[in-house]
Amino acid sequence: MSAVSASEKVDGFTRKSMRKAQKQRKSQGSSQFRTQSAPIELSPLPQLKDAPSTDQQELFCQKLQQCCTLFDFLDSVGDLKSKEVKRAALNELVDYLSTNRGVLVENAYPEITNMISTNIFRALPPSDNPDFDPEEDEPTLEAAWPHIQLVYEFLLRFLENPDFQPSIAKRYIDQKFVLQLLELFDSEDPRERDFLKTILHRIYGKFLGLRAFIRKQINNIFLKFIYETEHFNGVAELLEILGSIINGFALPLKAEHKQFLMKVLIPLHTAKALSLFHAQLAYCVVQFLEKDPTLTEPVIRGLLKFWPKTCSQKEVMFLGEIEEILDVIEPSQFKKIQEPLFKQIAKCVSNPHFQVAERALYFWNNEYILSLIEENIDKILPIMFSSLYKISKEHWNQTIVALIYNVLKTLMEMNCPLFDELTASYKAQKQREMMKEQERDELWRKLEELQVSRASEVQNNSHGSPAALNNNNSNNNNNNETLESSSDVEDTAVIMEDLHQDATDIACESVSCAK
Amino acid sequence: MDAVRLMKELRVNYEQEVDFLPREAGLDLIVSAQQSGGQITARSRDVTVEDLWSLTSFFGYSTQSFVQAVSLLDRFLAMMRVQPKHLSCVSLSCLHLAARVTEEECDLTPADELIRIGQCRFTASDLGRMEKIVTEKLRFKSKAVTALTFLQLYHQITLTHATYRKETLSLEKLEAQLKACLCRIAFSKAKPSVLALALLRQEMKSLQSEDMLEISFHIQRHLKIPDAELQLWSEWVARRLSDYASPKCSKPNHRKLQWIVSRRTAQNLHSHRSVPELPTIPEGCWDESESEDSGEDVMSSGDESLCSSLGSDAEGPFFPLHLRRQYLAA
Repeated sequence: MSAVSASEKVDGFTRKSMRKAQKQRKSQGSSQFRTQSAPIELSPLPQLKDAPSTDQQELFCQKLQQCCTLFDFLDSVGDLKSKEVKRAALNELVDYLSTNRGVLVENAYPEITNMISTNIFRALPPSDNPDFDPEEDEPTLEAAWPHIQLVYEFLLRFLENPDFQPSIAKRYIDQKFVLQLLELFDSEDPRERDFLKTILHRIYGKFLGLRAFIRKQINNIFLKFIYETEHFNGVAELLEILGSIINGFALPLKAEHKQFLMKVLIPLHTAKALSLFHAQLAYCVVQFLEKDPTLTEPVIRGLLKFWPKTCSQKEVMFLGEIEEILDVIEPSQFKKIQEPLFKQIAKCVSNPHFQVAERALYFWNNEYILSLIEENIDKILPIMFSSLYKISKEHWNQTIVALIYNVLKTLMEMNCPLFDELTASYKAQKQREMMKEQERDELWRKLEELQVSRASEVQNNSHGSPAALNNNNSNNNNNNETLESSSDVEDTAVIMEDLHQDATDIACESVSCAK
Repeated sequence: MDAVRLMKELRVNYEQEVDFLPREAGLDLIVSAQQSGGQITARSRDVTVEDLWSLTSFFGYSTQSFVQAVSLLDRFLAMMRVQPKHLSCVSLSCLHLAARVTEEECDLTPADELIRIGQCRFTASDLGRMEKIVTEKLRFKSKAVTALTFLQLYHQITLTHATYRKETLSLEKLEAQLKACLCRIAFSKAKPSVLALALLRQEMKSLQSEDMLEISFHIQRHLKIPDAELQLWSEWVARRLSDYASPKCSKPNHRKLQWIVSRRTAQNLHSHRSVPELPTIPEGCWDESESEDSGEDVMSSGDESLCSSLGSDAEGPFFPLHLRRQYLAA
C-alpha cells in the first residue's frame, strides 16, 4: 500500500474511499481452487478433429473431465499455462458440439452436466461495493469470465443441439440444477445474466415437467425482492423470459397466472430500482392485457394504488406504461377506469416537474387515446378542465404552457358547448373566490378601523366622557380618513403596535407611506 | 341604468353600427372562393376565427376582445385581398389590437408569446407591421359597435323590465352563442343589432318566457327592425346553434398542432417499444400430444405434465407433491 499524503486525510484519518481504492482485490482462497494440495497442471490432450472417430467419444469425455478443474482468476499470474489449456479445450468442445452430429450419446449427458455444474454453480462473491447502485455504479465483472463464458456457450449449444433429448437430460437437468441456475441470476455481470436468460428460456421451452417449478421459483425470487431484500440483479432478465412465456399463454388464462399478475407483477412496480427493468415489466403487463382484456380494470386500479408520490422519474415511467396499456385497451374497458385514471392524469398535468407534466400532456398526441377521449368527452372533460385551465396560467415551464394550449384546443374542438359551460363555471368560481378574498380583506380593514377607533378612544377616555366611545365606533370611516392626516398618527400607531401585530404592520406601512 | 337612458343608447349604437359593417361584396368574394384558388376561403376564415377564440380563451381575454378582433378581421378581409399565407398574421394582429383597447395592461400577453402559442411562423416585428397596416386601412381608433354591444344592451333592458329573470337570462350563455355564430362567416353579413336580437329571441324562446319575448318585440319596434330580416337571421341562428350543440363531435385538427417536448422526454418516448428477443414459448395443455421438437415421451411424462397444469387447476402453484400423487391415484 502506497503512503497516503496528508492532504488526502480528513481529521488525520484516511478517507474510506481512498482506503478502498488502494486495497487490492485479493483472492479469498476458496476451497474451489484446491490451494491446499499441489497446483494442478493440465497437459493438453490431443485434438478432437485429429482423433479417429472410434476414439472421439472417449476423448470428448476426457476433455470434459479435464475442464472440471477450476482456476483462480483473481490471481493474475498463477497457472497461466493450465488456464490456457482449459480455455482451448473448452473452445474445442464448443466447436465440436456445434459442428458434429451424434455427439450426444446417453453416457455423455452426465459428463456434460457435471462439467457445467462444476464450473458455473458457485456461490457468487459478495459485492465489492456494498452500496452498489445498479443505476449508477459500474458492475463488478466475473473474473473467471474467459472460462465461464465458454462453459455457458457450451451449455447453450448443448440445449440447442438437434440430437438433444429432454427425456434423457431431465435426469440431470432437474429441479436442483434449475434452482442453482436461478441463483446465478443475481450475478452482477450482465454478460453472465444474458447467457442465463437464454439458457433458462430454452430449458423452460424443452422441459415441460420443470415449468411449474420454474414459475414457482421465479415467484419466490420476485416476492423476496419486493418484500424482503429489494436486491436482485436479474429481475430484468427473468421478466424478459416471462414475457415470452406470457405471450404463449393459452386462453382462457389460468387462475395461477392471473394471481401472478396481481400479486407479483403489479407490486413489482413499487421497487426502488424500477428503471432497471421497467421496460420488461411493462411488456409483461401489456401482454397480459392483450391475452385477457378483462384484467384491465384491476391492473389499472393496481397501478393507481401504487402511483409514485415522491419520485418523478418513476412517475414518468408509470405514465409511459399507462400509454402502452391505453394503446391496446378495449373501449368498454376504458369506460370502467376512465374516471380514476384521468383524475390521476389531471394531477400529473399540474405537476411542477416538467417531465411529468410533459409526458402526461403528450397523451393527447396519441390518435387512439384521442378517439377514446372523444367518445367519453362528457365524463373526461370536466375532470381535466380545471387543472388544465389553472396550469395554463401558472406553470413555470414555457414548453408545458404551449402543450397545454394544444390539449385545451383539442378538447375544445371535441365538444364546444361543454367546454363553454365549464369555462363559464370556472370563471364564476374564480369570481366567487375573488369576492371572498375581498370580503376577507374588507373584514380585516374593518377590524383595523375598530382598533384605531378603540385606541383613540382610550386616549380620549382620559379626558372625555364614555359617550365618546359610541361616537367613535359609529364614526369608523371618518376616523380612518382623518387618521392619515391627523397629527395623532404617531401616537395611535404606537398604541396599536401593542394591541395587534397583524393590523399594525399594515397600519405602519400606510403611515410610513403617508410620510 | 334606467330604461329611458338604455333605449337612447340603443338608438345611438343603432345609428353607428352601419359604419362597422364589413363590405358585403368583399365577404361574397370570400364565400365564393374555391379551395384551390389560392385565395382565402370561407373555411379558412372560419378556422382562423376558431383559432382566435382558442387563443382568447387561453389567455383569459374577454369576449369583447374576441368580438372586436373578429370585427376587425372581417372588415379587413372584405376590404383587402389577403393571401392565405398571411391570414394568421392578420388575425393575430387583429386580436392583439383588440386586446390592447379592451384588456387591462397587466393582462395583455406580449406579442412573442402570442405568436409562440399560436404556433405561427412570423416574427413579432411582422406582427407589429401588420397591426399598423390594419390600423391604417380600417382607420381604427376605438372599439367598434358589434353584436356584443347590442347583446349587452338588450340584456340590460330586459332585466330592467323583468328583474326576477336575472338568473335565467344568462349573458354568458348569450355571449357563448354569439361566439358560435361569429365562427361562421355567414353571420358577418348580418347587422349586429339584428343578429343580437335574433340570439336574444332564440334564448327567450328556449326559456319559454312570454313576457321576455314581449320585451324583445318592444325593442324591435323601437329600432324599427323589419320582420323579414329578423325572421331570416333567426332561422340561421337556430340552425347554427343546433349544429353547435349537437353531440356529434368534429374530428379535432390535432394534426396541425405542433407537439414540442423537451429533449429528455423525447428520448424516453417509445424507448420501450423494443421487439422482444426471446421467442414465444406456447403453453401446452397437459393432454396435448407432445410436440416433436421437445421429444418428450407422453407416457413417462404423465407425472410431469400433470404437475405443470395441476398446480394451476388447484388454484395455486404450491400444490404439494404428495397430494398430487394422491390425486393421480384417485
